[in-house]
Amino acid sequence: MNTYTIESIETGMTASFTQTVTAEWFEHFLAVSGDDNPLHTDAAFAKEQGYRDRVLYGLCTAALYSRLAGVYLPGRYCLLQQCDVSFVKPVFAGDVLTVSGTVQEKDERFARVKIKAEIRNAEGKKVSRATLYCGFLHAETE
Amino acid sequence: MTREEILAKATEIFRDVFDDDSIELTEETTAADIEDWDSLMHITLINEIEEAFGYKFGMKEVLGMKNVGEMCDILEKNT
Repeated sequence: MNTYTIESIETGMTASFTQTVTAEWFEHFLAVSGDDNPLHTDAAFAKEQGYRDRVLYGLCTAALYSRLAGVYLPGRYCLLQQCDVSFVKPVFAGDVLTVSGTVQEKDERFARVKIKAEIRNAEGKKVSRATLYCGFLHAETE
Repeated sequence: MTREEILAKATEIFRDVFDDDSIELTEETTAADIEDWDSLMHITLINEIEEAFGYKFGMKEVLGMKNVGEMCDILEKNT
């Protein structure tokens, strides 16, 4: 886990990680959200709609932005304040997603950074893009 | 810009940011007068004001402003 503070983080810093989507994600997100829309729960319905399989919940994909901010950029002292997200292509079980982000702006007056982030699948297609605004918790003192 | 022009321009920005055309700013308006004026909206508001007026508030100015009138004081001096 990274430990950037408002003092040490800089514009232009980047981070990324890769994650495979599994079928369990659908059940876990259903349990949390209660969203049983058939696009996410019924493969036959999804196919009727022109998708090759059940489509992952967009907000489940977006959960990866939470990891990007809370673990990588800025990491331990992150306080995620705002997340503007678009879901531009469907995500399916088995997809290998690469999540990446770049610090675009840093405002020391408000102890806040703006991070441009995106998620791409194994074919390199962008499935989601987002702008994250992160504040900072106080770093522990020795 | 005159004081009245600054207040009128700021009013437009506040209405856009809070999506509320009923907002009527006065010199005494504070965050307590606008329901959605919380700490996060404050940052958005400051950023929009800075962009519209072409002026970046300093750290002390950001922390020191007590009401809309004090914000207008700074903008009147610097724009």
